[in-house]
Amino acid sequence: MSAVRQSGSGVFSMNGREWSLLVACLLAIAIFSVASPHYATPGNAVTVLRNSVELLLIGLGMTLLLAMGGIDVSIGIVMGLAAIAIGRIVGADGSPFVALVAGPLVGALLGCVTAAVVVLGRVPAIVGTLGLLGVYRTAVFALLGGQWLSGLPSSLTDLLATTVLGIPVPALVIAVAYLTVWLALRRTPYGLHLLAIGNSEEKARLSGIPVIKVRFLTFVISGVLTGIAATFYVATYRNVEMSIGSTSALDAIAAVILGGTSILGGRCSLLGTVLGVLLLRILQNGLLLIGVPSLWQPVVTGVLVIGVLGFEAVSNRLPLTRFQRARA
Amino acid sequence: MTAPFLVARNIAKRFGALTALADVDLEIRPGEVLALLGDNGAGKSTFIKILAGAHPPSDGELLIEGKAVAFASPKDAAASGIATIFQELALSENLSIAENVFLGRELKRSIFGIPFLKRAEMRQRVDGLLQELDAHISDPEAPVGSLSGGQRQAVAICRALNLNARLVIMDEPTAALAVAETRKVLALTRRLAGRGCAVVLISHNISEVFEVADRIVVFRRGRKVAERLAAETNHEEVVSLITGAHPDVRALEKTN
Ligand SMILES: Nc1ncnc2c1ncn2[C@@H]1O[C@H](COP(=O)(O)OP(=O)(O)O)[C@@H](O)[C@H]1O
Ligand SMILES: [Mg+2]
Repeated sequence: MSAVRQSGSGVFSMNGREWSLLVACLLAIAIFSVASPHYATPGNAVTVLRNSVELLLIGLGMTLLLAMGGIDVSIGIVMGLAAIAIGRIVGADGSPFVALVAGPLVGALLGCVTAAVVVLGRVPAIVGTLGLLGVYRTAVFALLGGQWLSGLPSSLTDLLATTVLGIPVPALVIAVAYLTVWLALRRTPYGLHLLAIGNSEEKARLSGIPVIKVRFLTFVISGVLTGIAATFYVATYRNVEMSIGSTSALDAIAAVILGGTSILGGRCSLLGTVLGVLLLRILQNGLLLIGVPSLWQPVVTGVLVIGVLGFEAVSNRLPLTRFQRARA
Repeated sequence: MTAPFLVARNIAKRFGALTALADVDLEIRPGEVLALLGDNGAGKSTFIKILAGAHPPSDGELLIEGKAVAFASPKDAAASGIATIFQELALSENLSIAENVFLGRELKRSIFGIPFLKRAEMRQRVDGLLQELDAHISDPEAPVGSLSGGQRQAVAICRALNLNARLVIMDEPTAALAVAETRKVLALTRRLAGRGCAVVLISHNISEVFEVADRIVVFRRGRKVAERLAAETNHEEVVSLITGAHPDVRALEKTN
């Protein structure tokens, strides 16, 4: 029963699922270290963490969306659009500080568009965001004119490669994002309302919860986090390619579900999402280093998702834990 | 006689082509338990959902203490002092008891303009309410989905009590309960009325109704067909009113 209770739990207290994920991460690291001489190096550890930054931010937003009974399959391309805006500013030798604002701003605006379609327009989230995915794909193509945005100046990169009090900026941003989302989810009325909506929108409405406001806000929050992810993307790669974000939605949903958030809504784990992202990135990096072509990465992710959901269905986890909330 | 807390005038509700309610007039008084009876589909739940702000009426008006009101949402009705325990309870199974009792009107403190939950206070308040109800729940932090039917009913009642409601509406509160739990809920309805609260009780159990109700209203096919003081009617008459065998109901239904 201890995993059921959450109210007294702290920011980092762990449940069974989260421990299993941690063990899975360590196990994967151990296996890859034996399999490849290039694996267990400090450089590679940094690479894995570096590769996790965008997905961690997008994953936090996706956790809120799934917990609310929503979803956003267009999230990768939203990151793409935000990245184009940032890239244009950086490319035109604009101030990197302006570029910093551009990401979250474009993310918030696109979050409003998604919310307008899904929340105000009452289009089911999976269908609405799939439609937006199609529209945005074409928008990216049109904006880039079939060409990569590449060879961007290093102004933004330099700004984000610094440390504050010895902590790298990306780590700091993720820590702040995690803490903020955790507080919102577990310590404010908003979080309670979000989980109630995930359990049953009709019951939430009868309880006097402003359902439309909460749902709208959550899509905007997810957009902002995605915009921040776009900022790190541009800073790291200094280009924006045509296929940007094409696997982000799958990766994020996979990580969130791996982490123990219910696909049916009403229950979620932020710490689980973080561990899910790390496991995914460890597997993808390790498989690459032992010579599996990167083409296989989405296959691994897809199989993991199906495996976890299949296992939960078979072990009857879904109906049982609908009433349970893991700790964040 | 005390002035009514709530007056419903000519209330009608249509769902597309279906008329669920028509021409319902009703007065609800403080300190009185009013029982709403009727067959399945008679429109009882629909009527109280209108009182609770969950459905807007298609026609008619509601007056609270003489003033016309229009509820856009359950929150509006709650703000007017109406607490409703819905037949389907409307509890969030994934949340704890305290979270459910305060859901939608949490106690909060503002830090830098951000509202944070006062979790300890909410918990304390709910522990007090549960004690007052004589409800024994071993783990108040457990999600409501893991509680028994009676315990869930107690949580729903706590929610209504916590609102300091002037009118408490209960839709079949005892339908899923064991005998002992039913007794507690019935005693509670009397206690609420004793405090000066108006109570509307929907029930299928006629003996239960006679035990607690001051006034009995019968719905049939979306219309109010009878209103009686409990002291001036009996079990048989009420049954014939519900089934439509009563001459008054027959006469009424002939004219429609
Ligand atoms: N949301 C709704 N949409 C369409 N029809 C409804 C809805 N709610 C109730 N009804 C219909 O209205 C009628 C009255 O239902 P209800 O008020 O639930 O009756 P009772 O509670 O007396 O059993 C029924 O015919 C029911 O099918
Ligand atoms: Mg009913």
